Amino acid sequence: MAVESKLGENILTTTIDKFVNWSRKNSLWPMPFGTACCAIELMATLGPKYDMARFGAEAIRFSPRQSDLMIVAGRVSIKMMPILQKIYRQMSEPKWVISMGACASSGGVFNTYSTIQGIDNFIPVDVYVPGCPPRPETLIDAVLKIQKKIEKERSLSQKRA
Amino acid sequence: MENSFDALVDEEQFDFEYTPHEEKMLLNFGPSHPATHGTLRLVMELDGEVITKVTPELGYLHHGFEKLGEYRSYNQVVTITDRMNYVSPLNNNFSYILAVEKLFGIEVTERAKYFRILLAELSRINDHLVCIGTQGVDLGAYTPFLYLWKERENIYQMFEIISGTRLTVSYARIGGVPRDRDNIPPVFFQKLDKFLATFEDTLDEVERLLTRNKIWLNRTKDVGVISKEDVLQYGLTGPVARASGVEWDIRQAEPYSLYDTVDFEIPVGEVGDVYDRYLVRMEEMRQSTHIIKQALEKMPEGEMNVDPDTKVMLPKKEDVYNSIEGLIHQFEIIMTNRGPRAGKGEAYVPTESPNGELSYYVISNGGNGPYRFRVRPPSFYNYQILPKILEGRLLSDTVAVLSSLNIIAGELDR
Amino acid sequence: MTEAKNVVVDRVKNAFPDQILDVSENLGETAISVKRDKIVDILRFLKEDNELKFDMFIDLCGVDYLEMGGFERFAVVYQLYSMEYNRRIRIKAFVPEGDEKIDSVVSLWAGANWAEREVFDMFGITFTNHPDLRRILCPDNFEGHPLKKDFPLEGIGYRENFLKVTRENAQ
Repeated sequence: MAVESKLGENILTTTIDKFVNWSRKNSLWPMPFGTACCAIELMATLGPKYDMARFGAEAIRFSPRQSDLMIVAGRVSIKMMPILQKIYRQMSEPKWVISMGACASSGGVFNTYSTIQGIDNFIPVDVYVPGCPPRPETLIDAVLKIQKKIEKERSLSQKRA
Repeated sequence: MENSFDALVDEEQFDFEYTPHEEKMLLNFGPSHPATHGTLRLVMELDGEVITKVTPELGYLHHGFEKLGEYRSYNQVVTITDRMNYVSPLNNNFSYILAVEKLFGIEVTERAKYFRILLAELSRINDHLVCIGTQGVDLGAYTPFLYLWKERENIYQMFEIISGTRLTVSYARIGGVPRDRDNIPPVFFQKLDKFLATFEDTLDEVERLLTRNKIWLNRTKDVGVISKEDVLQYGLTGPVARASGVEWDIRQAEPYSLYDTVDFEIPVGEVGDVYDRYLVRMEEMRQSTHIIKQALEKMPEGEMNVDPDTKVMLPKKEDVYNSIEGLIHQFEIIMTNRGPRAGKGEAYVPTESPNGELSYYVISNGGNGPYRFRVRPPSFYNYQILPKILEGRLLSDTVAVLSSLNIIAGELDR
Repeated sequence: MTEAKNVVVDRVKNAFPDQILDVSENLGETAISVKRDKIVDILRFLKEDNELKFDMFIDLCGVDYLEMGGFERFAVVYQLYSMEYNRRIRIKAFVPEGDEKIDSVVSLWAGANWAEREVFDMFGITFTNHPDLRRILCPDNFEGHPLKKDFPLEGIGYRENFLKVTRENAQ
């Protein structure tokens, strides 16, 4: 969408924006970057009881080229961090990141030599989910917050911040 | 330290010569992959589809559990232990607390022992459900995953009633169970009865889907055979060893926590392939329900925790609020740098976790926490056999073998 | 059970009288502390002797006795189990500081391979005759040995040392 800000904000561009945002938020394809215990709760969220498919985020793709939402579920070690960054950079725009659990958001229980104290030091994060591990309803709430965030984007009428 | 994105596959390290006209290829079965249960990495040398050499790489989930345990008190370490094998956390908790209680020389009440058996077997069922469910998903059978995970939700509800959390339960303290959670609400037993009534039917349904399924048999029979000699050489334990014909279960050989008063059978396989390990796990789940029913009957009424006068257990809340001794006693246990202290010594109690022999080697220096906190991880030793059994097999057997060994990355890397 | 344990301790004492530093039988567990020089012979004797037959290899770990005081600073602890006689034993081989070397037991049990790599990674003890001694859990360019008592818990700066990816250079 490189023609932004030439057209300015008018009824045509904002309506296209609304339509694009509606279609993006209702079909988020998550990429589960699950490392530890939070990955089990992520699997439970995708399971039959707390169904994430109701919100459109059912098609999990393990390839970064085919997904737009990366859910970092679990603690990240110093050996794993370059891989996380490589995969984040391989995802194509637009992309969002959910940092699930206490360990991904801030290091959690582990204040040790080999745990990254919060992935937001090295990767831009959109929504943080607290909990150890967070309940599936909390994760669904995080996905809904991402959807609200997408609704406010103005990719055609304004330059992306 | 340089951050180089391209240094992930270093050909000199893996002793691989690339010659343009040969047909060998180096494939990286990377740490982020749907079929690796956690963050494992395999660097495989392939000749077409046939594997010639496999080098596993570990350490992508290494967080220094053993070092962290040295800086926490005995009761705080319980919360660390259940983040290791996160699909069956109660087995870890009880295994650790048995070692610590041996150091302190404390014997818990009979009610606590039977309740521990009950919860440990529920946790074992939990682990085998994950293993078989994800094994199905890896090999293409998605339906058993949904049926089995629905049963896991029932177990999670029971854990939530007794401890408040679903996954990282931490339901063990020195001397029994946490002080405020020692009264089990009757709703727990109602849910348990309901679970036991319908669980075997779900297992029968999954057996109907998988056990005589032609595709399942083709993918799992005679794949990844482990011999009896390998079991002794590599230190393999658990269902992996039992499927190869070694009849050894620590719950019967060296019983702990009153396992000798319940009777159950040990399923033993013959060939030692992936199919045998699947059958051993299914049968172990049925034996676990049998054990749970016996433990329910035998559990006596009475106090769950040891007497607070032994100075390791928190006193009752009424004593804390109404008497000075109770208050001082509570502070002595809870405040930082205080807490129950054991004499100098070491303890090692082997227990049977769903993956194999899980035991904690705890050395004490008279402090309020362990001096050396060593975990004997069953997944670490079970994973070592992978390069040997994959040589000469096809690439798609990797997935079947890896999921049958039940490698939990948290326990592997600690 | 105590007669059985005494059998084990007596046979080991008769076979290697000068290598044994200490024998302890607390809490029902037998632990023998030995010097590191003939550790492969001692373990081979335990594995193959007909009265002992400790054929199953259970665990191998390292301990740093800096604050606690042992015979030397480091010890390598072997846990063995006998399938036939259903008993366990623990052997502790002491390794002095400054000369951290000990023989590898990979020739007896192939499963000791990775366990010895882990002890090398965490404590810095080198195993002679090991086929492939390199770090296993920490990254390859990590310096320092984490489980030694003088290594800080929060590490020496590796966990902050990464490139920062922001939205501008996110591709």
